[in-house]
Amino acid sequence: MLETLQALTSGFVSAFALHHLGWALVGTTLGTAIGVLPGIGPALTVAVLLPVTFNLDPISAFIMFGGIYSGAMYGGSTTSILLNTPGETGSIATAIDGYMMARQGRGAAALTTAAVGSFVAGTLATVALTFFAPPLARAALRFGPAEYFALTVVAFTTVSLLLGPSRVKGLFSLFLGLSVGLVGIDQLTGDARFSFGIPQLLDGIDVVILVIGLFAVGETIYQAWQYGRSEPEAVVLHDFTGMSREEWKRSWGSWLRGTAIGFPLGVLPCGGTVIPTFVSYATEKRLSKEPERFGHGAIEGVAGPEAANNAAAAGVLVPLLTLGLPSSATAAVLLAAFQQYGLQPGPLLFTSRPDLVWTLIASLYIGNVMLLVLNLPLVGIWARVMLMPRRLLFAGVLVLASLGAYSLNGSLVDLAILYVVGAVGCAMRVYDVPLVPAVLGLVLGPLSELQFRRALAISEGDLSVFVTRPISAVLLLVAATLLIGSKVVTRRLVTEGAEETDRHGETGERRS
Amino acid sequence: MSLFPHGRPVRVLTTVALLALGGVVDAAQDPAIGQLRLIAPAAPGGGWDQTARVMQQVLQRTGIVRTAPVENIPGAAGTIGLARFVGSEQGRDDAILVSGLIMLGGIVMHRSPVTLREVTPIARLTGEYEAIVVPANSPFRTLTDMIRALKDRPESLSWGGGSAGGSDQILAGLVAEAVGVPPGRINYIAFSGGGESLSAILGGQVSLGINGLAELEAQIEAGTVRALAISSAERLPGLDVPTLREQGVDVEFENWRSVVAPPGIGARERQRLESVIAAMVATPEWRAALERYRWLDRYLPGDAFARFVDREEMRVRTTLRQLEAGQDGGGALASVGVYPTFVLSGLAMCAVAALVVGRTASRAVTSRTSRPKISGTVWWIGLALVINLAMAKTVGFVVASTAMFWLTARAFDDRHPIRDGLFAVAMALAAFLLFGHFLQLPLPAGPLERWL
Repeated sequence: MLETLQALTSGFVSAFALHHLGWALVGTTLGTAIGVLPGIGPALTVAVLLPVTFNLDPISAFIMFGGIYSGAMYGGSTTSILLNTPGETGSIATAIDGYMMARQGRGAAALTTAAVGSFVAGTLATVALTFFAPPLARAALRFGPAEYFALTVVAFTTVSLLLGPSRVKGLFSLFLGLSVGLVGIDQLTGDARFSFGIPQLLDGIDVVILVIGLFAVGETIYQAWQYGRSEPEAVVLHDFTGMSREEWKRSWGSWLRGTAIGFPLGVLPCGGTVIPTFVSYATEKRLSKEPERFGHGAIEGVAGPEAANNAAAAGVLVPLLTLGLPSSATAAVLLAAFQQYGLQPGPLLFTSRPDLVWTLIASLYIGNVMLLVLNLPLVGIWARVMLMPRRLLFAGVLVLASLGAYSLNGSLVDLAILYVVGAVGCAMRVYDVPLVPAVLGLVLGPLSELQFRRALAISEGDLSVFVTRPISAVLLLVAATLLIGSKVVTRRLVTEGAEETDRHGETGERRS
Repeated sequence: MSLFPHGRPVRVLTTVALLALGGVVDAAQDPAIGQLRLIAPAAPGGGWDQTARVMQQVLQRTGIVRTAPVENIPGAAGTIGLARFVGSEQGRDDAILVSGLIMLGGIVMHRSPVTLREVTPIARLTGEYEAIVVPANSPFRTLTDMIRALKDRPESLSWGGGSAGGSDQILAGLVAEAVGVPPGRINYIAFSGGGESLSAILGGQVSLGINGLAELEAQIEAGTVRALAISSAERLPGLDVPTLREQGVDVEFENWRSVVAPPGIGARERQRLESVIAAMVATPEWRAALERYRWLDRYLPGDAFARFVDREEMRVRTTLRQLEAGQDGGGALASVGVYPTFVLSGLAMCAVAALVVGRTASRAVTSRTSRPKISGTVWWIGLALVINLAMAKTVGFVVASTAMFWLTARAFDDRHPIRDGLFAVAMALAAFLLFGHFLQLPLPAGPLERWL
């Protein structure tokens, strides 16, 4: 413990050199900028900057990369909240309530809770990374295919809370997402499935394209559809200063819970930040005394997931730094960056280059503070985006969404898929089918199938692996309790009074 | 106090900007070639991407080529990139594609209509050995222990490695065949990427692991895994691991990487590209990079390389066919068709249920009687999207985006055509400069973009 503190202090001393601070600033700013743009993530940015940074000393380069990494996680929330356009998959859950808040003129509060939540979670997760990285990494290795499958089952139970007013429509949306997830090469055998002879479909439909299509393009077309049908609700900004005292009180618990959920799930390589953010969202909804506010601008629904995705981002660094295991695309690029500097990332990195590792960790703390300082003053300005003329807003969204989708693979096929998905998204909105279950289906379906079949291949077809392996058994039990628990809760809510059903009916009508 | 003392960050920032705007220009040296596009048929971070980015660095730094932008076209073991390369670069002499053994595997696995015979071979560049490892607590001490268990009951050993049809699975098949076990009975568990399979090996989730040496070397040195064999012809200096051959398994194997040029280029253009690569591999910068990434120097140019590819293709094809023959890892429930059937029938059932519910609901709610009509605004948006899609490739990103922006704005409100036009141009230009120019993202390029 004492040694860790000493090492960390020397890391801070090195990171506090002025030019290092300058690079942290460049990194966080750049990261925030690319986080805002849908489709372009930190992995691509770091890869593009790799040759550019060759002249820098490794410490400066890694400080900048650390800044890009945490900045990108934060930046994604801005467009989610203001434009209903998640910049990264980790910000989808944020869009649900964040966008509703923005439309009610509470965009500043949503942005503030996202910024402060990112800071709190980022810092706490970095503390955990500092002190508990090696044991955590060892614990994560106990997760095999059976455990990951069980984890996806737990994640699936969150869908039951996101189905919306009509169960049938919610399930339809879920199965739509699962079906889209079928497209592409079967990873275990290498056979192509449902690719209809189009080579671009061999690798499946990118989650990012589905998300940008359903949310950003779909929203634009839907607004056009609504145009002239109903008067647009004028947005009145409540304030530019941020959160009220009550909103602070509501956010605290969500930030801490989001961190507690996000960090361990980030340590496990399980499909990025989607699972932690949705598990956090579902937890907040379930713990809330007024779950019916969720989906209509509940601040907890922004605070929790935003904390979770930043904590998860720090978690990803645990296996990377301690074991040399890249568990996300960005981590893989960072690994390549280590190699560029002739460093062999692996179990020995902590002992062979402690200066580098500790400066990187120290710079994560600094980057988090920097993000907060940079972004809090901007909250008021960003919130005014809602006052922009709608025609310019949506035109800009279409240009950025197309840019993001095209630059993923440099292919017009992706652009065509984006627009088709956008049209489908608009149709789903018109018929009141919720969008989020489809996204979850696309993310979780293939992951779940893959791990299930892997586990069975390893066990030679013996189904009992899922219950004889202790972690897997516990996780499946948790999933079962959650499902039964939610039934009980729903029943209680239904029987508790007609007032409740009235309110549901009302919202249903307003939406249609 | 200034945050940037001595003006250093300013200088560094200008360097960053300059580099991003087109690489280091060495004024003293006149570059032989203006631009050479390097196409990596994989996502950032993998071996092909690394190869392309190292080439970019070396070519630009030494002034052999003035600018060498890298484009990533990921997917399906490189076959998507290959198909696009053959389709759209026909006859062009300013682009090369990074390729290799894994692409041969992809061509066979995915029955790619485009093969490596269609491109112009330039040179093989690097090679990487593979290693077979077991978790530190495994009962297998040597390769012989492992082979005994494999012969006894092949399916009981799970092999964790990279994607299906990739170099790891090919080597697994070759080893099985060499020891007399039908390759089809190998229980190969495909993982995506080195990190995922490595964590399965470290955690003891699979019986053994098979991966590139570069990914495993640090783990072998740290003692977290035990290396049973290495696929090289002789032992490597500084690494105390026996070869396959000295343990009685007659297999020698390398995951090689190469570069190819588009089809249909003339002999002179081919000559010129070959000399660019020849100049590159001779530089000390390239040697240093080989050292850094622990790649083997496997430079083999021209026709000799073409003949080598033909031989390798035969070997890969035979091995993968044998592997495919008996594949059914985890019994009936884990077979390919079960899950899709479940999902599609679920979708159909939900659709029917939603229709039924929707009908009864719309009967109850009388306000829904008039069918919704598509308004003019939606048609304008549709037009904007179609125009962008149709025009982007020919007129380029800026013009197409300007048109899309203007049409979308017009769809919502047609009272400010001129002002919106100005906004559209400003937005498209700013987006292009930031993302296309500074971050070098691939954007559709027309005459205007090439001029900029």
